[in-house]
Amino acid sequence: MMTILRPVLGLLSLVLAWALAVWVFNVPNYISPGPLGVAKAFVTNSDVLFKNLVPTMEAAVGGFLIGNLAAICLATVFVHWSRVREIYLPVAVFFNTIPIIALAPVLILIFGLGITSKIMVSAIVCFFPMLVNMIRGFESVSLSELELMRVMSASRREVFFRLRLPRSVPFLFAALRISATASVIGAIVAEWIGAELGLGVLIIQTTFDYRTELLYAAIAMSSLLALLMFTIVVVAETFIVRWRTS
Amino acid sequence: MSAIRVSGVDVTFTTASGPIQALSDVALDIPEGQFCVLIGPSGCGKSTLLRVIADLQAPDRGGVRVFGGDPAEARKARRISFVFQEATLLPWRSVIDNIRLPLQVGNWKSVGRPYRDPNELVQMVGLGGRESALPHQLSGGQRQRVAIARALVTRPDVLLMDEPFGALDEITREHLNEEMLNIWQETGTTVVFVTHSLSEAAFLGQSVAVMAAHPGRMSKVINLDGEKPAGTIDRSSSKFFDITSDLRRHLEAAEGMA
Repeated sequence: MMTILRPVLGLLSLVLAWALAVWVFNVPNYISPGPLGVAKAFVTNSDVLFKNLVPTMEAAVGGFLIGNLAAICLATVFVHWSRVREIYLPVAVFFNTIPIIALAPVLILIFGLGITSKIMVSAIVCFFPMLVNMIRGFESVSLSELELMRVMSASRREVFFRLRLPRSVPFLFAALRISATASVIGAIVAEWIGAELGLGVLIIQTTFDYRTELLYAAIAMSSLLALLMFTIVVVAETFIVRWRTS
Repeated sequence: MSAIRVSGVDVTFTTASGPIQALSDVALDIPEGQFCVLIGPSGCGKSTLLRVIADLQAPDRGGVRVFGGDPAEARKARRISFVFQEATLLPWRSVIDNIRLPLQVGNWKSVGRPYRDPNELVQMVGLGGRESALPHQLSGGQRQRVAIARALVTRPDVLLMDEPFGALDEITREHLNEEMLNIWQETGTTVVFVTHSLSEAAFLGQSVAVMAAHPGRMSKVINLDGEKPAGTIDRSSSKFFDITSDLRRHLEAAEGMA
């Protein structure tokens, strides 16, 4: 109980400090509203917020699934064919150095203003952490485990499915935790560059219009979306990973 | 018939500081059904020899025959089991599922030999009731018991053990030594057991092969069959003391040669 209570207390203290700062320094509403004003805007604009949440969520979830799945497949290929890995892993590292904000316009030029480009941006953000983690996960098998499999004359396929894949599951979830929140960032970045509807669009529009209370509400909504995805990953992990390394 | 015949085996490892000869002209003959203990100072290549027999390490020179054939054939026919110093259990599998693993990989179905009931093996190694426990819930000794049960499930003709009880405390080790002798007498399998404990070697060995280091080589093979007519020996007897002292003398002689 205390484990939940303490962070909640921490959050409340910051919200209180925010309210106090706005009140003490007499900050005008269009620069920064207080927490109460944001809460009110959240309730009164809930229809606008949910209408914009849906496309962002679709893009984030779609990118999350596609990016992670592609990364897992590529890591599987890399771990079985070291030559392919030597050729393409450095290329992947190089592509990862391109900031996603710089890559997003290119993808929108290619895939248009629809959901495809948003999913692509979100998938790319999820891809690299999963790739690196899964390679590490597949290789986290010990020498004696590999020798055990060899004495039993296990095939490469059996070594993968019976040893490498289960071994990598904690690494998988470490990457899923990262991409759960990163996928939302990717979707919002894509919406900044160009989209018709979505939390990213709402954030940009409300910034330009000085509708700061709604802006804060949109930020809170995107944070809730990321939190929801993160929570699903954490809950799934506690159900799936019951073992510990001794 | 000899279960394992090693002749003129050389193994050299290349390291950053140059080549190291792990085994030099090693010969060893182990009759079927024998409990053979390999003992020697660290660096004498006793583990390497075990790995050569298991086809985990290819010799640079010399020959190894397991039941008259290539070690790789014996491995593919699933006649060999190996127990490592660490239990090497898969941590996501329960006790019973770890014991079942050898029956789920390596073409076991087409090998088609009779195997042991995993449930009976759990009882035999004294873990009845812990079938669904995960490895992290077990003690070190219990984990090693599971590893032994896993090695026995395929009814191997050769059981290779690389310091299996080296990481355990003295009391647990003595218990497991007694159980190991019972298992060997019950199964009649050929056992090659690596240790650096003199009392373990004296207690378990039907024959003890003493090795010397730098380079790793065979120093002397001592047959203890005549000393232990019943196959077992009382650790507090003077005979056990004599065997241990004799082994110590041979080991010191082997170390002196280096």
